[in-house]
Amino acid sequence: MDILHSGFIWFGEGILLVLALTGIKTWCEDRGVRLRFWSWIPIVLWLFLFGFTCTFIGTSLGEGESVAAVKGGIILGLITLISAAGIWRFLLQLRPSAPDPNKIKEAMENETETK
Amino acid sequence: MKKKFSPPRFSRRSFLKTAGMASVAAGGAGLGIWGYKDGKAPESYSGWESFQGATQYFNRKSFAVDTPTYRKVGESSRVDARSEVIFYRFSELNRQWRDETGVQGLASPWQEYYLQHPAELELDLQLKKEIFPKYRQDEQKYGSRFLLATAWAQAMGAVSPRPIDRPPEESDFPRGEEYGEPKTPLPMKDRKKTSLLIKQVAYQLGATLVGIAPLNPDWVYLYPMKNRGFDPASPINVPKHWQNAIVVGTPMSWDPFFANPNYGASDDAYSRSRIVAFRLAAFIRALGYAARPHTPGTAYDLMVPPILVDAGLGEQGRHSVVITPELGSNFRPAIITTNLPLFSDKPIDFGVQDFCKTCKICAKQCPSGAITMEEPSAIRGYLRYQLNISKCHNFWYSKLGNIGCRICVTVCPYSRKANWIHKTALQVISRDPTHLSKQVLTQLQEIFYPGPAPQDYYMPSLGGKNASYREAPWWLRSEDFISW
Repeated sequence: MDILHSGFIWFGEGILLVLALTGIKTWCEDRGVRLRFWSWIPIVLWLFLFGFTCTFIGTSLGEGESVAAVKGGIILGLITLISAAGIWRFLLQLRPSAPDPNKIKEAMENETETK
Repeated sequence: MKKKFSPPRFSRRSFLKTAGMASVAAGGAGLGIWGYKDGKAPESYSGWESFQGATQYFNRKSFAVDTPTYRKVGESSRVDARSEVIFYRFSELNRQWRDETGVQGLASPWQEYYLQHPAELELDLQLKKEIFPKYRQDEQKYGSRFLLATAWAQAMGAVSPRPIDRPPEESDFPRGEEYGEPKTPLPMKDRKKTSLLIKQVAYQLGATLVGIAPLNPDWVYLYPMKNRGFDPASPINVPKHWQNAIVVGTPMSWDPFFANPNYGASDDAYSRSRIVAFRLAAFIRALGYAARPHTPGTAYDLMVPPILVDAGLGEQGRHSVVITPELGSNFRPAIITTNLPLFSDKPIDFGVQDFCKTCKICAKQCPSGAITMEEPSAIRGYLRYQLNISKCHNFWYSKLGNIGCRICVTVCPYSRKANWIHKTALQVISRDPTHLSKQVLTQLQEIFYPGPAPQDYYMPSLGGKNASYREAPWWLRSEDFISW
């Protein structure tokens, strides 16, 4: 049986997708990014773009269109990289902002004075 | 003392993160490999993979229209095959031309035609006097490169039914019980069911596309082609039993097609379509009805492209060839005229007219300049793109390989294999009412799928480089199999 022409490939891709999403969630949590439900939208779209890029390159090579594979790979690859960086920077903005050290100092001084 | 081995500390969270990143990479690689297989898959070679009807996979229902996409703009006139069909006209010029007498030495109707069309005369004489000798010379010098392609074309053309050469009244009707062809038509229960039956039989006989339309008499030649059983000097009276036209189409083999020019002529699809048409005609006669096949290369009594449009198989493109959703223009049709009561298909409008307005890739890539860059104009009462058939025909002998040329068909964005990229693009451009995707995808077609410079297709003695659109498939590369 040709695995690539059976439903098994999509079963495998499904497992890999779940693992990828779990990994991204853990990665974000460790960097203090709390993912809300809507912040998954750019992540899923990016994964789709990444998959599209890989499939486009593969298919173009398969049908003997190497120019399409190279040009498509460069254009889509750049878009994928730039969008990954953009999404990551956007997600970092979602981190709860750390308290201002000056304000902490001020509060501590006030507390001492009260005592 | 030896240090005891202790596995690296790897927390659950680290494992999840590493597995996640690895999964992204593995998922991408998996999709890439799947894509590679899809690009190479035999299933993407539409028309060569199934005889079950799955080859006509595009759902035409939502694109059905009541009137065909060509437009009638004036009084129609029928084609005089003697002077307007290039093969007929050129063979007569070649046979009759004497330099001493010139046009005056030609018989009627060719004399009248050439007097009215001096530009065509110049082009046709150029082929006879300049291009043919150069072709023969270059063929000797460089032709061995195309030896296997020529052998393949000859092999495909070797099996062919004898063309019909008797008048319709004699050849079309059932011959009698002794031949398994009842003289009295069998009573068919229902037109719709009969149409389904005919289509299923056509698929089983090897057709990739099948469509049915009532025959418009405008498409029947005014004067006939040679050897079709008609009196060449008399106009054709459209026989009463030519009520319906069944169109069948088969694709040309994809890899040689993509290696044009000219790794394999059209003989593969010609031969397959001919065989399907003759078999289908025999099937209809066995039901007691009249049937006459009109088959490629020249055994026609009618114009084919508008009948394909009427039968809902596609729309006529800028290059004058009909574009179908499944095969683009990469196919060759045959037609059966019959009096079998049938339910007709509706014409379709899946956006080709709009697409061709802006695309123009075929016109830019055509080395001969036969395809117009202009808007459609009125031809015999119908609005359509003008094609300079003499320029086109001259190019057939201006490059090596098999006689003929399929560059316009090859570079057409619709003529792509059935993999997910092109199927998705087809769905998008067919359904996008803004036409924006048409422009974007045309640009992408030019960027991603470039061809050689048009001049490079010519043979060396005409300033070309014997270029082909893509590399020949491995089994047609003569140099890999034959030593000289």
